Amino acid sequence: MAAIETFYDVIRRQGISRRSFTKFCSLTAASLGLGAAGASKMAHALETKPRVPVIWMHGLECTCCSESFIRSAHPLVKDVVLSMISLDYDDTIMAAAGHQAEEILAETKAKYKGQYILAVEGNPPLNEDGMFCIDGGKPFVEKLKWMAEDASAIIAWGACASWGCVQAAKPNPTQATPIDKVIRNKPIIKVPGCPPIAEVMTGVVTFITTFGRLPDLDRQGRPKMFYSQRIHDKCYRRPHFDAGQFVEHWDDESARKGYCLYKMGCKGPTTYNACSTVRWNGGVSFPIQSGHGCIGCSEEGFWDKGTFYDRLTNIKQFGVEKNADEVGGTAATVVGAAVAAHAAVSAVKRVTEGKSSETKND
Amino acid sequence: MTRTIVGPFNRVEGDLEVALEIEDGIIARAEVSTTLYRGFEQILVGRPGLDALVIAPRICGICSVSQSLATAQALRAAMGIEPAPNGALSAKIVHAVENMADHLSHFYLFFMPDFARADYEGRAWFASVQPRFKAVEGKAMGPMLQSRAQLMQVMGLLAGKWPHSLAFQPGGTTQSVDLGGRMRLSSLLAGFRGFLESTLFGVELETILALSSRQQLEAFVEGPGAGGDFAGFVRAALDVGLDRMGGFKGPCLSYGAYDGLFPAGLSDGAFALESITEDVSHAWLAGEPQSPALGETRPDAYKPGGYSWAKAPRLEGRAVEVGALARQVIARDPLISDLVATAHGSTVFARIVARVLELAKVQVAAEQWVEQFQLKHSFCLPSPPLDDGVGHGLVEAARGALGHWLTVKAGKIQRYQIIAPTTWNFSPRDQSGQPGPLEQALAGLEVGAAGAKSPLVQHVVRSFDPCMVCTAH
Repeated sequence: MAAIETFYDVIRRQGISRRSFTKFCSLTAASLGLGAAGASKMAHALETKPRVPVIWMHGLECTCCSESFIRSAHPLVKDVVLSMISLDYDDTIMAAAGHQAEEILAETKAKYKGQYILAVEGNPPLNEDGMFCIDGGKPFVEKLKWMAEDASAIIAWGACASWGCVQAAKPNPTQATPIDKVIRNKPIIKVPGCPPIAEVMTGVVTFITTFGRLPDLDRQGRPKMFYSQRIHDKCYRRPHFDAGQFVEHWDDESARKGYCLYKMGCKGPTTYNACSTVRWNGGVSFPIQSGHGCIGCSEEGFWDKGTFYDRLTNIKQFGVEKNADEVGGTAATVVGAAVAAHAAVSAVKRVTEGKSSETKND
Repeated sequence: MTRTIVGPFNRVEGDLEVALEIEDGIIARAEVSTTLYRGFEQILVGRPGLDALVIAPRICGICSVSQSLATAQALRAAMGIEPAPNGALSAKIVHAVENMADHLSHFYLFFMPDFARADYEGRAWFASVQPRFKAVEGKAMGPMLQSRAQLMQVMGLLAGKWPHSLAFQPGGTTQSVDLGGRMRLSSLLAGFRGFLESTLFGVELETILALSSRQQLEAFVEGPGAGGDFAGFVRAALDVGLDRMGGFKGPCLSYGAYDGLFPAGLSDGAFALESITEDVSHAWLAGEPQSPALGETRPDAYKPGGYSWAKAPRLEGRAVEVGALARQVIARDPLISDLVATAHGSTVFARIVARVLELAKVQVAAEQWVEQFQLKHSFCLPSPPLDDGVGHGLVEAARGALGHWLTVKAGKIQRYQIIAPTTWNFSPRDQSGQPGPLEQALAGLEVGAAGAKSPLVQHVVRSFDPCMVCTAH
């Protein structure tokens, strides 16, 4: 692998046409919110900059992030991201095994010191000296620290790497610990979700490898381009929330009409992710569209916030005096008032609760 | 005698190590070690019953639908209810799609790349197999992943998202289907059939389903099916001798799949669920052999004699093999029965053929299922609150028999035990010293001078399509 090889060199060698390449750049630029100028900037960068090696490691996890990733809807993703941006090491799909695989790690670490991206799926368990996740005879946490030393930046894939996820749920038997609690001296980008959306993952990888830097992050370390929107605010069922029209049972008459799932436990009002805009499985749907509430899987601690099927009690959507039951019954007459009250309460909350879930991303 | 540890294994899900003792080029003893443990069975205790629908499937990002369905079935049993027929049908289709996608990725991403190893350079088939299947770079990967992603739009249509879908409930599915949705399902399945026929098999699926003996299979790969990827596998596998390797002589078990399309049963007798026990004598876990209905999970990281986080499930004290091969043996599929009869047991070859054959069988069946929705009827019936109850859910995941055992007391989960397919296949030894199926399949394998580096070890291990995160969970 020559040091000056660019992304474009690689894809040309693989027989990808200039037309496909240009199309990939414009689509990706659009999905990253970079606009038309972004597309040509991207194309230029991919043609001139040496490609960035990516090392993809798996700790304590379920592989759902990889599964999401390889299912990306983008027609070129299989070429572009899987092979061309150089996934130099990936436990799940690579050819090498055993010591040979370990050698690839050592080689990349030395040859691309300070340049490679370390993408981590899963997290290290710290109890019993790391015995709950042994990789190549050593605790995963050691391998993680060793590879992080010379990485330029770390991508924390999914809820596990970002926050801990369900394996860190009480009593957290293995002391599963998010990456940023173990690696403290490297830039870390969190791409939470269980799993994250495929297009979000490819977007993040493409941005970093194209421009050689992390995209803008919010205060929690998530890329703003994908995590600045509240599910609730972009939800197609939102008008029914505002109108006080709610589903009461799975697949009831209200469900068939597409009413709001708030009373079924939807966590959309406290969750920041791109599900309601990018959607899943090729843009086909997302959990709320399937008639089930959002569980907030991209939020820190979503696994230990009470049952997933209880409604949120920390949002006051209809003003102080009303709750969903009361409003639902008389929806027709109070629609206007409810909308107004909601807007007012949201505005007040933004001002008064600087660190509340509604405003943490501002 | 040399003792070597093979691992970490790649192109398997999760972490796996296999310790091999090799004597004169033959594997004398194998110890299969599951090195990853998260403690789901501990985490689930004390939570409301329904929360298992969110937590339990997160054991595995590859067979999450199977996990969801086992959870929903266990809850349903504890509640004493039946699902809406539409919901059950929808779940069956999603489950079929997940299993097909799994079989496809196992074939293309996990199993075939081993034939592209330099060890096989110079073999007659190498020049045609290597460019298509070399890991990551192979030409077959791109179109396969694209077809697979398109097929999985079914998950979006019927379950909102995948992996870790939320639509599956005790009463059915939260997602209803309308006329447009049904048409899209049909067209997605038609698209997948196109891939199977043009690329994997090179013939119509019906031709594959008509194969009833090894002889016919061999004629097929030199005749009408010669251009398909499946033929590439058969040629390479027979040349390497995979039809004589990796055998397990014990019985096969299936819980039954898709409403009887593949029946439940044990290959050499009747099967009683009560005769399943889990043994922890060689696991880093404390306790005695116990039925999963009464089981417990207590980590003991430094237990003497332990070498795996996995328990050892046994049926009447016997190790059993599960998976596509087991399902087809119990379904008395003529081709698979012939392969198993001629080899006097399971083999690497038969396991892969069974998996690929299931792609054709399930695809054809799923095309019919899509037509069976009663669009105006409910997809999810109300379920009562679950305060106290006991139940289990048994499903066939792509990799084999999956069971969840649940006890709820006063609204909280008191016990939750899971036996995943790879827990069966990759179990460690039990207290009688009986090795697990993979351990038995590796013992006796002739690896020659290459020792543990022989690709044959990789073929045998991967023929079970291991899922290590499920194994110890």
